[in-house]
Amino acid sequence: MSRLFAVALGVLTAIGGFVDIGDLVTNAQVGARFGFSLVWATAIGVVGICVFAEMSGRVAAVSGRATFDLVRERLGPRVGMLNLVSSMLITFLTFVAEIGGVALALQLVASVHLLLIVPLVGLLVWLLLWRARFSAIENVLGLLGLALVVFAVALWQLAPDWSSVAHQAVTLDKPADEDWRTFAYYAVALFGAAMTPYEVFFFSSGGVEEGWTTEDIATMRANVLVGFPLGGLLSVAIVGCSWLVLGPLEIGVDSLGQVALPVAAALGKVGLAVAIVGFVAATFGAACETGLSVGYSVGQYFGAQWGKYVRAREAAVFHVVLLLATLAATAFLMTQVDPILVTEVSVVFSAAALPLTYFPILVVANDPDYMGEHVNGRLANALGTFFLLVIAVAATAAIPLMIWTRMGQ
Amino acid sequence: MSDPETGEERLENRLEATIDGALHLLDRQLLDREGRMLGKVDDVELTQRGDDLVITGVLTGPAALAQRLGGRLGGAMTRTWGQLRVSEPDRTRPWRIDVEDIDRLDSALHLAVRREGVLRRDRDALRLGTLTGMDVLGPDGTRIGRVLDARFQADHHGRLVLVSLIVGHGRPGSLLGYDRRGDIGPRLVRVVVRRLHRHTVIAGAADAEISWEARTVRLRSVPDRRPDHALR
Repeated sequence: MSRLFAVALGVLTAIGGFVDIGDLVTNAQVGARFGFSLVWATAIGVVGICVFAEMSGRVAAVSGRATFDLVRERLGPRVGMLNLVSSMLITFLTFVAEIGGVALALQLVASVHLLLIVPLVGLLVWLLLWRARFSAIENVLGLLGLALVVFAVALWQLAPDWSSVAHQAVTLDKPADEDWRTFAYYAVALFGAAMTPYEVFFFSSGGVEEGWTTEDIATMRANVLVGFPLGGLLSVAIVGCSWLVLGPLEIGVDSLGQVALPVAAALGKVGLAVAIVGFVAATFGAACETGLSVGYSVGQYFGAQWGKYVRAREAAVFHVVLLLATLAATAFLMTQVDPILVTEVSVVFSAAALPLTYFPILVVANDPDYMGEHVNGRLANALGTFFLLVIAVAATAAIPLMIWTRMGQ
Repeated sequence: MSDPETGEERLENRLEATIDGALHLLDRQLLDREGRMLGKVDDVELTQRGDDLVITGVLTGPAALAQRLGGRLGGAMTRTWGQLRVSEPDRTRPWRIDVEDIDRLDSALHLAVRREGVLRRDRDALRLGTLTGMDVLGPDGTRIGRVLDARFQADHHGRLVLVSLIVGHGRPGSLLGYDRRGDIGPRLVRVVVRRLHRHTVIAGAADAEISWEARTVRLRSVPDRRPDHALR
């Protein structure tokens, strides 16, 4: 019974924790402009994150080593350092975007100026990172994030013509007023949003935090293979709502309020309230995850004690990094930078940095010295190789496309 | 593998087998006897004992790491690290952990002691990070390649002794373990790594004359042994 409970809890938190500010904004933007014609990019991204999260989780369960340990071991100190700097910058940008996202979500309710909310959110995030138990952060915020299911309900209420939806998704039928460059740009952005590297940093380090052993591999797989795809369906529901309500009105998404607008149109005030709860929980959860990921990667590169499974005093460097990262992120947001813009930039840079993270995972997951009998099977390797190639293409294309399309203008 | 005492599942202890210094030891996590982390294996200390080059400890901390970064960056970082506190003696000398304090090696290097006060700064010796990356010259002085990795084996005293050098093109560590056996997946990565390292050879330690000042290794005969992957 407790095992079933563990699986159910893991799946639910994976669904609630899958969507973050990057997914919310990118999916709503894409929905409003391209409808269902880019669903394939989300689908590929979801399968990709499943493949590599499962690998990194398995490595963590068998060897007790999290993802950045593998990066340092297989790429060496030099390339590892380059990787550390770039991953930290990207994860930090995502962290900024998530804190900004919490503040934007709270602003929808409170209607006070953003700069009054940001410091409060920063303080709350830091307090959670410092004091709260790891499982509390993951479970409570993950479960609350399930409120985003309201997008699926809204989509059902909006009653689209499902056969034309399927037709648009399968034939990649983009609206005539959009060109292929922006189409490609948003495909890369969706892929980057789904495969953000912090997700595997957090997932594998979380496995170490919770003391996974080989016995937990089955539970871990269930969480990944059921939870992430269902989270991906939530992303698609956001796309759909956005397409049906914002598309005909020619509204482009540049605020969090516009992301929630279709829910309000379909379900009224109650729906809007539930959506905002979902926004706050999802972005707050992701803020904690990205903040922790910054600390994890520094700890795992230098070998200093990290993790919330030891007392804060035992992992002093880790907690200093968390504090500095939160302070810096809050300070960055206080410059009145637009959190939506930071989000857009962070998902594209994520796409550009993907190979640095995912290549070492694939190599170590195949190393029998490391994994014993739990090395990758044929399916994992076939998918891993395929995604390595997809990742390489997306990474190469990301920055040129960003410049060429002027960020999808 | 199960622990005979506690019955709990443990990974194989690699210190009892043949290890490749760069692949298995460098950059591993250091854990103390209670499982607490205390750093990375930033470098490995080697000592010449008679004819043998023996692992006598592991090095950790910024001074060791800066050297590993190599080149101009590594030199600059080592100098800067020293200048941060000029009054401190031997600041650029890395912290070391004696091989006596090491218990076992699997996905991490486990110490036999608690982490409190385990680091010492009592000597400065030869480093594995200097050996890997050295230019390798043949008997006639032509360049064969670089030291990509160094293979160690436990002798009957339990000391880890250098037995051979893996020599090839590219950077140390770029073999990624694909030289050790022929069946490691995925196929695409294996094919690419082997193609890049098709000229890799193994030179016996008895055959190699290591010049630490000139940072070169001179071989007395042309090596003809190939790593496992080349044989298949």
